[in-house]
Amino acid sequence: MDGREMRDYIPYQVEIVDIDRVTSDSYLISLQILDREVFRYRPGQFIMVSVFGLGECPISIASTPTRNTLQICIRRAGKITSGIMDSMIGDVLGVRGPCGNGFPLDFMKKDILIAGGGSGFATLRSLINFIADRREQFGNVAVAYGARTRQDLYFMQEYKGWQMAGIQVAVTVDVGDQGWTGNVGMVTSLLDRLEIPPGSAAICGPPVMINSVAARLMEKGFQLPDIFVSLERHMKCGVGKCEHCMIGPHHVCMEGPVFSYDRVRQYL
Amino acid sequence: MISYLKKADLPDLLQAWADKMDVLAPILEEGQISFTTWKGQPLDLSANALVSPAKIISPREEILFRYIQESGTYRFLRPDQKPRLIFGMRPCDLRALQVLDRIYGAPPPDQAYLDRRRSAVLAVLNCTNPGPGCFCAALGAGPDADEGYDLLFTDLGNGYLVESGSPAGIVLIKNSPDLLPAVSDLADSLLTDKGRVVGLCRDQVISSFPGMSVERIREGMESAEWERLGQICSYCAGCSFVCPVCHCFTIYDRGVPDGQRIRCADSCMTSGFSRLTSGSNPRPSQGDRLRNWYLDKFEYILARTGLAGCVGCGRCSQVCLSPDICLRSFLESLCSREMTTNKFADAGESKGEGKSIRK
Repeated sequence: MDGREMRDYIPYQVEIVDIDRVTSDSYLISLQILDREVFRYRPGQFIMVSVFGLGECPISIASTPTRNTLQICIRRAGKITSGIMDSMIGDVLGVRGPCGNGFPLDFMKKDILIAGGGSGFATLRSLINFIADRREQFGNVAVAYGARTRQDLYFMQEYKGWQMAGIQVAVTVDVGDQGWTGNVGMVTSLLDRLEIPPGSAAICGPPVMINSVAARLMEKGFQLPDIFVSLERHMKCGVGKCEHCMIGPHHVCMEGPVFSYDRVRQYL
Repeated sequence: MISYLKKADLPDLLQAWADKMDVLAPILEEGQISFTTWKGQPLDLSANALVSPAKIISPREEILFRYIQESGTYRFLRPDQKPRLIFGMRPCDLRALQVLDRIYGAPPPDQAYLDRRRSAVLAVLNCTNPGPGCFCAALGAGPDADEGYDLLFTDLGNGYLVESGSPAGIVLIKNSPDLLPAVSDLADSLLTDKGRVVGLCRDQVISSFPGMSVERIREGMESAEWERLGQICSYCAGCSFVCPVCHCFTIYDRGVPDGQRIRCADSCMTSGFSRLTSGSNPRPSQGDRLRNWYLDKFEYILARTGLAGCVGCGRCSQVCLSPDICLRSFLESLCSREMTTNKFADAGESKGEGKSIRK
């Protein structure tokens, strides 16, 4: 972790260079850092994003360090995310980080199952694109993703590219409609439709979804220490001081947001 | 370095310090003892202040930085810290600062806290008049201090034994040779007097709360009925706001396009503290929050810093709106099996399930 901005809470300045609509209520925002040469991060890390005057909140990094642009995916949820979404290209925001640990790729097996629910898919996009760019370093990779409706699915235009990189992709929605011919149901229902040899898993989504996916994976022969989950918590400081993000004795901002499932399942 | 100050000379000593820096001392204001800037007022050392002097270093509200918009981008300014001396801080509050030092000092260190800490001189006063709710001795946090101070005062009746605990403390003694003379030939007898005074106070604190220890508290928490306690709790969060160790904070901005980013005290006892924007809450009930508060004090902070997150100052019990479940009586119940079965069996009407400490 870089020292300066974490010590004194003063953020780096970033300019919004691109805004893409992802769904009706979320944007993919590309950021150019103005007062920093290099911004190194790992898939699964997050940043503290400031809108000066409104405040600061934790946002997953949605881009991969293997590509140039730093991206975040924002859904209109509260005051600050609304402030980010109301910003325009050229506006300046603040960024502290990267915060947290990211996915432990050195400890993960080469066969990886990635399971996401709802907006938790943003942090997994970082991992998926990282794997796609370094495909030769990984084995069997499958993505299972679910959202409420067809309109809520993130990054639809990217699925084809992932598949062309040899990544299996299966999606589902909670509520189908006339235009939807795909799977309807929980993310767990996708797991039997994918070829998933027991390896490592990266899961991000609501606790209910994490628990059901992890249970199904263990039935499929995954070992508990190989299942990694990225947790969402209320945060203010991002540096283990404000205590908002504590689960049991753990600070999600410092020890997480990615935990091995067996370390945190008692809190989910 | 050891010295002796006549009580009549204390105002002169404070004045000598106040000529060079801000001196904060316990002063009776509007019926309440509080640490305020000393400008010649009489001190009130009869009891500890309700608002801990640790809050001078870890304040209720502070400006982290100012942001100033200049042609689209921002310029940031951090506030300067002015040197100050805190006189009359008690050992329990010094221990609270030692806990906070380890929390804020852990990587990445918190610059705002450390700057304020380093610019403050601590003239600690050994406790000789503990309050009825004090149990510092059980937690090793008092009534006397053994390290971490710049100067340590002990009331010996007509005057104070003054000991230095840091280079800054030695300088302060050397700078006032008339008021703080060297007492090398009397040192042994003064230290004996100190031992007697401190020993009496220690006996007093221990006898008011016998048999309590961190180990017994942790053991007792295993079977505590948190949901039942949560139903009695008034949700006022007063305990966490007067606790000298509690340091939960929130951060918010004030002002556009120029303004300040402000750090402000928060409390894990409030329902919104851990609630996510989506509305889901990892600690939905007051029982969950009470349990988290106690576990933080006696387990999590202990594991992080090697020191308990409670210093036994008794302030939380002083302000608790539900005295039956205040920390002091709760801990008494945990440390005495008889009380566990009696006191809290009738405390609430509904049958809250006792949650295990290791949920």
